[in-house]
Amino acid sequence: MGKLFRALLFGLIGAGIVHIAVVLLVPFYSDRNAWSRISAYGDDWQFHSVTRDRAPGTVPLAFDPLFQAAACRFDIEDLPAHITGVGTTPYWSISVYNRQGENIYSINDRTAIADQLDLVIATPLQMIEINKTKPAAAENSVLIEADMDEGYVVIRSFVPDESWKEEVGSFLKSASCTPLL
Amino acid sequence: MLRNVLLALIALVIAVGGGTLSAWYAVNRFDGFGALTVGQWTGHPEAGTPLSDPYAKARAAREGAFPLGSAEGLAFYAYDDNQGQALDRRCSYKIEGNSPNSRFWTLYAADRSLIALDPGKDRLPALHSRQIFRQENGRFVVLVSPKAQPGNWLATMGAGRMVLVMTLYDTPVGSNSGLVDMTFPAVTRISCDG
Repeated sequence: MGKLFRALLFGLIGAGIVHIAVVLLVPFYSDRNAWSRISAYGDDWQFHSVTRDRAPGTVPLAFDPLFQAAACRFDIEDLPAHITGVGTTPYWSISVYNRQGENIYSINDRTAIADQLDLVIATPLQMIEINKTKPAAAENSVLIEADMDEGYVVIRSFVPDESWKEEVGSFLKSASCTPLL
Repeated sequence: MLRNVLLALIALVIAVGGGTLSAWYAVNRFDGFGALTVGQWTGHPEAGTPLSDPYAKARAAREGAFPLGSAEGLAFYAYDDNQGQALDRRCSYKIEGNSPNSRFWTLYAADRSLIALDPGKDRLPALHSRQIFRQENGRFVVLVSPKAQPGNWLATMGAGRMVLVMTLYDTPVGSNSGLVDMTFPAVTRISCDG
């Protein structure tokens, strides 16, 4: 009886260890995370519209039905990323995510400079360089210092009704995501 | 000898099976700690940020969603009505009251994995605060029902459980300034068919 009890106890302790290990390892081995979703959209350094498709083999995206979005992935190891967009929409916001899909920085149209979408994402070292040389292209940009290499941004914009669809679509189409030279 | 092997096997089965099952359950059903609950509405201000706990991180890695940042907004979910019963797509509900500070909000019905439900052709998939009718004191009533309703109507369809998602955009609710008026509308069941 004592032996059975001890086996059960070992089993429970082992279950705890397995539980913790699985939960901690899921983010590293998951193949349906946000990064793989973005990679499936297409090339990097280019905005792709975010779709809610229920394509076989993929998980449908939980996303506000009144929103349209575009996403771009980049690698700022060599050059900072410069993200711009032109247009008027009732509301837009942009988030910077790291490779793990964690939201590390976000702004909306009211917190941006003059309601314009213009931001630069740079590593701490590149930021020193930008502050020193003050490139003309990034004169009015919001500068974001991020200690990472690969990452992505998602721009989302509110579509209050059908009549805004075109306007919002052209805003998202105007968005560009290029390395800052 | 054989008994020892059997005992070791039992321990192994409990460890691997129990550990995997509980982890699977936690990753698929548990939203993580640090929930902000007001009435029937629950939000997760830290979800999707580097500050979130391992459960929330694991769940995010399985969903592949793009979580809202603090400057963007915060989503709140209602799983039950004010009687504590799970929300059902075949039932009619009344959402009545006021919303916390935000520039605007959207409201839609979703399934358990938070994918917005399709209410059918020519029906609005979601409502937002700039289109709804309000009473003189600023309060509003939204009727959630599979049948057409007067006033603000959020259409639903089908059967099974549902989750109401109210997303506040450009809101100070997630910050811990303590200056925010946390009023959320109450979800009440009106009737149920079938």
